[in-house]
Amino acid sequence: MSIAKPLVDYAKSLRPQKGFTQSFSAFKKLMKYHRRYYWFVMAIVILAVIRSILFSVEPLYTTFIIVNVIGPPSNLSLLWGYLLVIILAGIGYAISNFVLIFVHGVMSQYIVRDIRTEYYRSLQGKSFSFYDSAAVGDLTSRATVDLQLVDMFLRTWLGTVLNAVFTTIIIIAIILPISPIMTLISMATMPLIFYFTTRLWIETMPLFRNMQLIMGRLTSYIQQNIVGMKTIRIFRREKDVVDGFKEVESIYVNTAISAGKIQSIYMPLGPAILTLGIALVYVYAGYTLGIPGSALAVAQVGDIILFARYMMRLTFPIRDVSQTLGTWIAAYAGLERVLEITDAPRNVEDLPNAKDIKIEKGKLELENVTFGYVKDRPVLKSVTFMVQPGEKIAILGATGSGKSSLIYLIPRFYDIQTGSIRIDGTDIRDFKLVSLRKQIGVVLQDVFLFSGTIRENIAFGKPGASMDEIVQAAKSARIHEFIESLPCGYDTPVGERGVTLSGGQKQRVTIARALVGNPRILIMDDSLSFVDAKTEREIQSAIEEATKTRTTLIIAQRFSTIKTAEKILVLENGSIAEFGTHNELIAKNGVYKKVYETQFVQKASPILEEAGGA
Amino acid sequence: MSSSYGTFSTKQEERRKRTVPDRVLIRRVYKYAQAHRRNLIIGVSATITGALTGLASPYMHAIAIDRIITPKNLSGFIWWIPLFAAIILGNYLFQYIQTYQMRVVGENVVAKMRDDMMEKLQVISLRYFSEGEAGRIISRPTNDANTVRIFLRLGLTSILVDISSILGAFAIMFYLDLRLSLLAITVLPIAILLVWFLGKHSRAAYRRTLITTSGLTARMQEDLAGIKVTQAYAQEKETEKKFLKSQDENVKATIRAILIGSSYTPFVIGLRLIGTMIILFYGVNALLTGTITLGVLVAFTEYQFAYFMPLVDLVTMYDQYQSAMSAIERMFDVIDTKVEIQDPPLERSITLQ
Repeated sequence: MSIAKPLVDYAKSLRPQKGFTQSFSAFKKLMKYHRRYYWFVMAIVILAVIRSILFSVEPLYTTFIIVNVIGPPSNLSLLWGYLLVIILAGIGYAISNFVLIFVHGVMSQYIVRDIRTEYYRSLQGKSFSFYDSAAVGDLTSRATVDLQLVDMFLRTWLGTVLNAVFTTIIIIAIILPISPIMTLISMATMPLIFYFTTRLWIETMPLFRNMQLIMGRLTSYIQQNIVGMKTIRIFRREKDVVDGFKEVESIYVNTAISAGKIQSIYMPLGPAILTLGIALVYVYAGYTLGIPGSALAVAQVGDIILFARYMMRLTFPIRDVSQTLGTWIAAYAGLERVLEITDAPRNVEDLPNAKDIKIEKGKLELENVTFGYVKDRPVLKSVTFMVQPGEKIAILGATGSGKSSLIYLIPRFYDIQTGSIRIDGTDIRDFKLVSLRKQIGVVLQDVFLFSGTIRENIAFGKPGASMDEIVQAAKSARIHEFIESLPCGYDTPVGERGVTLSGGQKQRVTIARALVGNPRILIMDDSLSFVDAKTEREIQSAIEEATKTRTTLIIAQRFSTIKTAEKILVLENGSIAEFGTHNELIAKNGVYKKVYETQFVQKASPILEEAGGA
Repeated sequence: MSSSYGTFSTKQEERRKRTVPDRVLIRRVYKYAQAHRRNLIIGVSATITGALTGLASPYMHAIAIDRIITPKNLSGFIWWIPLFAAIILGNYLFQYIQTYQMRVVGENVVAKMRDDMMEKLQVISLRYFSEGEAGRIISRPTNDANTVRIFLRLGLTSILVDISSILGAFAIMFYLDLRLSLLAITVLPIAILLVWFLGKHSRAAYRRTLITTSGLTARMQEDLAGIKVTQAYAQEKETEKKFLKSQDENVKATIRAILIGSSYTPFVIGLRLIGTMIILFYGVNALLTGTITLGVLVAFTEYQFAYFMPLVDLVTMYDQYQSAMSAIERMFDVIDTKVEIQDPPLERSITLQ
C-alpha cells in the first residue's frame, strides 16, 4: 500500500456539499465574537452612514453646476459655492473613510485575537489522546493560515455590506424625487445582480471548502514527509510520497480551476448588468425626449447625467460586496476548522469538588483499573497492584501491552473507565489536575526540550526554582558536569540556535526537569533504546540516583534498569502477567524468566561488556 | 530570561536580503508557465483589452450627451445603444476569459513548482532535515507556495488591470482635450511622491507584522510540540502567558500597519479632490467659452476617478509583489539544492533478501 493512499482516498472522497446552513451557523458564531465590541460596531454603522452620504454628494453638485452654473442661463457666481460643498464633502468623506477603515481593522484584530486565544486555551486542555492522533503542523496552521482568512473577511466585511446598503438607499433617496420611473428602470437590474451574486456564492462555496480541506491535509502530509524523511529514505518510498503528492495536488488544481470557472462567469456579471441599466435609462430618456411637445430642458440633460453617474458609482459597492462574499467563503472554511477544535469537549477535567492535596508519602494503589482509548476496546483490563512509598517498579511488556498507558494514567493524562487509582489513599480524581500533576515527576518517552536555555528547561518543572535547586537536580540527573563544560554553562541555549544535545544528554536534562520539583512520585518512560554503552551507563546512573527515595514507575528496556527495581511488573495484553521481585519471578519460571534469558542474558550483556571494555 | 523562544530563525528569514534579481525569477517562473503559454497569452491579452473596454464606458456617455441628448438627435440612440451594449458585453467576456485563463496558468505553475520541490526534497542530503530546520523547509512548499498562489490569482491580474487602466485613461483624456488633461494631471507627481513615501512606511510596518506573525507561528508550533511536557508539569498558565505576549505583539504590529496603511487614503482622496476642482473650475469656464463640450467635462470627472483608484491599488499590490518574489526565491532555493549523494534508480538497486 502506498504511503499516500489515505491522503489520496481522502481527497477523492470529498464531494461538493451544499454548505449553506453550515456557513450560516458559522456566521452566527462569528457574530458572537463581535458582541464584546458592540461599541466598535456602532461606530462603524454611524461612520458608514456618514461616508455613504458624503460619497453621494459629488455627482449631485456636479449636476447643480451643469444645470445652474452652465445653464443656460449661465451663472458663474454660483460655481464657488458648489465647489466648496464638493470639497467639504470630499474632505469629510476622506476622514470618515479613514476612521472607519481603522476602527474596523482594530476590531478585526481584537476578534481574531479572541478566537485564537480561545483556540489556544482549548488546546491546552486537550488530553493526550487528542495529541496522540493530532499533527502539530495542522493545528498550528489552523491558528495562523486559517485565521488569516478569517482576518481578511473581518477587516472590511461590515463596512462593505453597510456601504452597499446605505449607498443604494441614499442614491435612491436622491434620484427618486427627480424621476420615479427612471429610478425604477435603473434599479430594475438590482434583483438580477442579487440573484447572480447568490448563485456565485452557492456554487463556489463547496469547492473552496474542499480546496481548503485538501490543503490542510497536504500541509500535514508535507510535514510528515519532512519529519520522517530518514525512514522514507531507508525504506525507499520516495517515489510513493511524490506520486501521492502529485495526485492530490492535481485534484486541488482541478478543483481550483472549476471554482475559477464559476467565478469567472459570475464575478464580472454584477457590474456589467448595472452598466446595462444605464443603457436602459438612456433608452427611456430618449423615449420621453422624443415625445412631441416635451421641450428639452437642460435640467433634463443634467438629470440623465446624474442618473448615469450614480449608476456608475454603484458599481464599486456592488463589486466590493461580491469580493467580500469571496473572502467569506474562504473565511468560513477556515473558521470551521478552528471552531471544530475549540468546540470539541475536553476529555480530562477537574471534578467539581477537586482540591489541592499535598502528597506526603507517595503510596500508590491501582484497583481494577480498566482503560481503553476507544470504548469497548480496553488497553488495560482490571489492573490491580500497590506500590509502597519509595518503591521502584520496573514495567515490562511487549509493544502494545499497555505499558505507557498504565503509567500515564497516574497524572491523569487519560482518564480510566472503571476502577480507581489512589495516592496515599485519595482518589486521583479528588485532586485538582494542577495539584496532581505538579507533584508527580514525569519523564516522557520522547525527550522534548523547549528552545531557550538549559536553565529555563530544567526550571520548567518548577518556575522560580532557585539556582541551587536547579544545580541539585542536574547533579542528580548526572548532567551537571556536562552543563558546566558548555561555553555559557546553564545559560547555554538549546535547540535551533543553540547547542545540539545528543539523545542521552537530552534525556538527562528531562530527568533533571522532573526532579527539580522534588516530587514524591516519579514516572519514567525510558524507551531510549538505541544508545551507546557510555550513554547507557550515564543514563543508568542518573535514573538510579533520581529514583532512590521516590515512588517510581519506570518502563524499562534495559536489564540494568530492571536490576535496580524493587519489583517487576510484566504486562501482557493489558493484564498483569507477573508481579514480584526479580528472584521471585525467576523462581516462578514464567514469562519474565523467558524474557530475561532471551533478551538480557544472551543478547544485551555481551555487547555491553564488549563496548564497555573498549 | 529570554522570552523569544524559537523566533530567531524566522526573524532572520524575514530580514534576509533578496539576492536574485526580479527579472531572473520572473524568467524562471515564465519557464514554468510555458507549458500553458496559450492560456497565458490569451489571459494577458484579455486582461488588457478588458481594462481598456472598461474605460470606454465614460467615453460612450460623453458621446451620448454631446451627439445625441444635447442636440436632440435622438435617432442616434439606434446606433449608440447596440454599441454600448456590445462594449459592456465585450468587457464582460474579456473579464471572463481573463479570470479563467489566469487561474489555469497560476494554479498549474504553483502546482508544478510544488511538485518539483517535493521531488527534490526526496533526494537532497538528510542533513537539511536536521532538527530546527524542519519548520523552515516545511514553510516553503506550504506558506511560500500559498503566497505565490494568491499573488498569481489576484495580484498579477490586478497589476495588469491597474497599469492598463491608468495608461488607457491618460490616452483617452489626452485625446479628448489636451489642455484639460495637462491640468488634470498636475496633481499626479505629488500623488506619486506621497503614495511612494507613505507606501515605504507602510511596507516597513507590514514587514514588522510578518516578523511577529512568524514569531507567533513558531511559538504556537513549539508550544504544541511540547504540550505533553507542559501538561505533565501543569505549566499551561505559564506557557499561555508567553503565548499571549507574543500574540499581543502581533496584534499591536498589525494595528499599526493598518493605521499606516489606511493613513494615506485621505491624502490620496484629497489630491483627487483637488484634481476634480481643477477640472470643474477650468472645465466650466472652458465650456462657457465653448472650447469643450458638456460630455467631455463629465467624462473627465469620471476618468479622473478611473486613474486614481488603480494608482492606490498599485501601491498595495507592491507589497504582495515583493512578498511573492521573496517566496519564489525561497522556493527556487529548494529546487536548486545540489544533490550530494546520488542513489541508483529504484529499478537498478539491489534488494537484499
